[in-house]
Amino acid sequence: MTQLTAQRPDELATAPLEPVRRVRVAGVFAIAAAAVVVLAAVHLTQGTSSVNAGDLLRLVIGQGTDNSANVLVASRLPRLLAGMLVGVALGVAGAGLQSLARNPLASPDTLGVNAGAYLAVVTFAAFGVSLPTLPAGGIAFLGGLAAAVLVLGLSAGGTAGPTRLILAGSAVAMALAGVTTLLMLLYKEETVRSFAWGAGTLVQTDLVAVRQMAPIVALGIIAALVLAPKLDILALGDDTASVLGVRVRRTRVWITLVTVMLSAAAVTIAGPVGFVGLVAPVLVRLIAPLVPGLMRHRVLLPLSGIAGILVVLASDVVLRAVLGGQAGVEIPTGIMTMLVGAIVLVWLARRFRDSGPSRQQAGGTGAGLRTLRTFWIVTISLSVLLVGALVFAMLAGDAFLRTGDIANWINGRSGRAITYVLDQRFPRVLSAVLCGAALAIAGATVQAVCRNPLAEPGILGITGGAGLGAVVVLMAVPTAGIWLLSGVAAAAALATFALVYLVSWRGGLSSDRLVLIGVGVSSATTAVITFVIVYTDPWNISLAMTWLSGSTYGRTLPQLIPVAVALVVLTPVIVLARRELDLLALDDDIPRILGVRLERTRLIALVGAALMTAAAVSAIGVVGFVGLVAPHAARALVGGRHARLLPVAALLGAVLVSVADSLGRTVLAPAQIPAGLLTAMIGAPYFVYLLWRTRAVKL
Amino acid sequence: MKRVTALAAAALALVLTACGSSENVTPQANSSSANTQPVSLTDARNKKIDLKAPAAKVVGLEWGVVESVITLGVMPVGVADTKGYTGWVSAEKLDATVKNVGTRGESSVDAIVALDPDLIITTTDESPAAITQMEKAAPVLVIKAADAKNAIPQMKSNFELIAQALGRSEQAKTVLADFDKKVADGKQKIADAGKAGTSYTMADGYKEGSTISIRMFSAGSLLGAVANELGLKNAWPDAGDPSYGLATTDIEGLTKLEDGEFLYIANDGDGGDVFGGDLAQNAIWKNLPFVRSGNVHRLADGIWMFGGPKSTEQFIDATVQAVTS
Repeated sequence: MTQLTAQRPDELATAPLEPVRRVRVAGVFAIAAAAVVVLAAVHLTQGTSSVNAGDLLRLVIGQGTDNSANVLVASRLPRLLAGMLVGVALGVAGAGLQSLARNPLASPDTLGVNAGAYLAVVTFAAFGVSLPTLPAGGIAFLGGLAAAVLVLGLSAGGTAGPTRLILAGSAVAMALAGVTTLLMLLYKEETVRSFAWGAGTLVQTDLVAVRQMAPIVALGIIAALVLAPKLDILALGDDTASVLGVRVRRTRVWITLVTVMLSAAAVTIAGPVGFVGLVAPVLVRLIAPLVPGLMRHRVLLPLSGIAGILVVLASDVVLRAVLGGQAGVEIPTGIMTMLVGAIVLVWLARRFRDSGPSRQQAGGTGAGLRTLRTFWIVTISLSVLLVGALVFAMLAGDAFLRTGDIANWINGRSGRAITYVLDQRFPRVLSAVLCGAALAIAGATVQAVCRNPLAEPGILGITGGAGLGAVVVLMAVPTAGIWLLSGVAAAAALATFALVYLVSWRGGLSSDRLVLIGVGVSSATTAVITFVIVYTDPWNISLAMTWLSGSTYGRTLPQLIPVAVALVVLTPVIVLARRELDLLALDDDIPRILGVRLERTRLIALVGAALMTAAAVSAIGVVGFVGLVAPHAARALVGGRHARLLPVAALLGAVLVSVADSLGRTVLAPAQIPAGLLTAMIGAPYFVYLLWRTRAVKL
Repeated sequence: MKRVTALAAAALALVLTACGSSENVTPQANSSSANTQPVSLTDARNKKIDLKAPAAKVVGLEWGVVESVITLGVMPVGVADTKGYTGWVSAEKLDATVKNVGTRGESSVDAIVALDPDLIITTTDESPAAITQMEKAAPVLVIKAADAKNAIPQMKSNFELIAQALGRSEQAKTVLADFDKKVADGKQKIADAGKAGTSYTMADGYKEGSTISIRMFSAGSLLGAVANELGLKNAWPDAGDPSYGLATTDIEGLTKLEDGEFLYIANDGDGGDVFGGDLAQNAIWKNLPFVRSGNVHRLADGIWMFGGPKSTEQFIDATVQAVTS
């Protein structure tokens, strides 16, 4: 069985059945509850009006003003209650999903449930249907359920192993988030700030949403508690559970329904508040070694709920304490939960015990052996496909050109209009191809080194770091040239990666810890990018779109030089290390035995991947998914040997981004869709198909 | 492998079938009919722009720009987000023939070039790289989007700059004189009604899920500055952002406001009426002094908040009427 993070199989098997130390467990609950009370009290004193702690105290002793009473009832309490409800719902849902998937990285975010629920709500809003809270909750539930069913279907109800579950989940989530952003881009433009919209906010004007969702959340929690004993047994493994009389399939269906319902309720109240469902249960799991019995689900589930409340309230309190009450309006709470959650996750992951060497190959091991003939067929076919994609990209746009136009343009004989169109199209096409190849090579390298199919430059924080560096430069020096931009992006990418690497290093590098910390840091960078844009230039939509969705819009040739240089210089370095990468992808011991200098090779490969990613990001912004999907697809096509994997992945990446960019410029022309959204929307279904086709093969 | 081969074949087929050329390659004849004097001007980037003749085929990428161009008697050939313009800007109507060139954030360079414009007008909010690209196709006039320290003069100088590029500076003088007269008349009417010095707030709002965001137009915003000229006093205490003078708040933040006139703009076609509808039952809203005294005014739909002289005149009319009624 695969473990993505450090939890020893023996620990996993025995923890739920440890005797419950009632006193200690009660102590934990008491401390957590006290923390909630304190945070809630502070939370109530914060806001955009002048009503402060003194006013509220006077209100309590019956001497308050109408004004303070109104503020309390119509603004402060709704916000507090919304935060608590969202926190508890996501916390319990996250814990349930993590047990269901037997994986601490599972959560409403990573399984696509939040994304599905949110897309359903946004779709209705986009087409001008304004729904009351309860039907909106129902729609959210259906959306979340559809996503969950798809994800679970792809992983045979989760029995095909947790890795497959998470892979399918993140693919579906990215595709759904892409569609959501697209809808908002198309239908919400006039009301600006669309990019901050989807981050989740607690600003509430009444208690309607809270009042209608509270019973649903309560129902969900009760149902989860009823299922808790079965989850304990399920943790022993499906076979053992079956022997012990648990109907595994039915239990999974129920826990899915319950967790989706809880997530949907949270989305209905506040939008997708990121990371709470992931972090809250992890928090509990991390203190579990100190307090035996915490892993019993009847304890774990409610405690995760309380941890969820703490994450949400603490984020909100810290935000408003540091930046003032006004910031609580301007900056979505979801950004802060992501930031706080990420920091907590990193800090605790560092304290996590090492799981020992991981026995996981980079994925698709079943597809390990392919003939050389297959490789050549695939490579030649893909090269032809790339040429086709390039030609298509040059032809496609508002007005479709013909190949003769391109021939004329190349020979300098085209007319004025065509010359201009192709002159401006050419850098966009080229940037898509180059960045696609660079991201794919970087992704293949990172997956080999981390020996983890989920690893990609994005997940290790490299993409986010580069994006953050670029955005900060743009804010500080709006006229910055491409070299300054790329330089700082590269430095930031390396710094972020160095941070991830060093923080993960504890007498050796566990690839599990690396990924876990990488996930934390990369979420933090996304949150900070959104934060920087919202805080410094809130009305600049195009800037935000470029850096958060990845766009070839307005690229000029000089902006492509860094990525071209990176490809030319770094590809040979990675290709030279192809055999070491083959070995690294196996396990830690074989390379050592064969005399490979493990850490040095790792570092060189990862720095190469980081630089390549940074160059790509500074050219077209943050484009996700390519680094994940291209190497996977390549591995499925030609097997895991890097001499073959790398060129095929590069070709696939180039084709993917190029096609995405072409479609983005064409489908809704003259409106332009950022390429990054379409890579998710094209790449994800393909990836899902890939998972579906290989569902017999254990990833 | 059949799959891959089939894909490759499809790609090849695509390449082969799309042959031919969509234009006749003939040397471009220089358009000899230079009808008026050349124009030379300096835009917000301090860039000198030379036009052989005043621009007649104009593409406008921001709605305020588009409105000004139409006010000056030129119908643009292309506009970013024509549908949005029609919904939000009623001061100047677009002809049905005007082509949509994409969204305001990322307009399509292809679509712009296809129109073969003499001049593209946009604002400093546009990405510099996109401007560089457009400049290969046609001269680009960049005006400063807004300046919260200098809102009205900025609006006027933007208008004059556009007029200069269109060769209609005389017309601009008349329009701006009318505008000044409108301001003076409005001020007079407010004074006559004994409302000079009245405290007011200007806002718009939008609902997302169960969250209501309120956008305040501070004294530095264009509408705020105009209302100040009319003799009203902006009650919102914060300055807002440095270019547009906009501040964001929630319903609780409105408790900072004293009694006065509360003006707002909503759009039934896009977002609906937050203040008149969603907030009606809210305890804070119901007890705000201006709500209690019935001083909440919804201004007519389609007054563009970031427009040129004509939109701003609409705002003056609506405000004077709301305050004096």
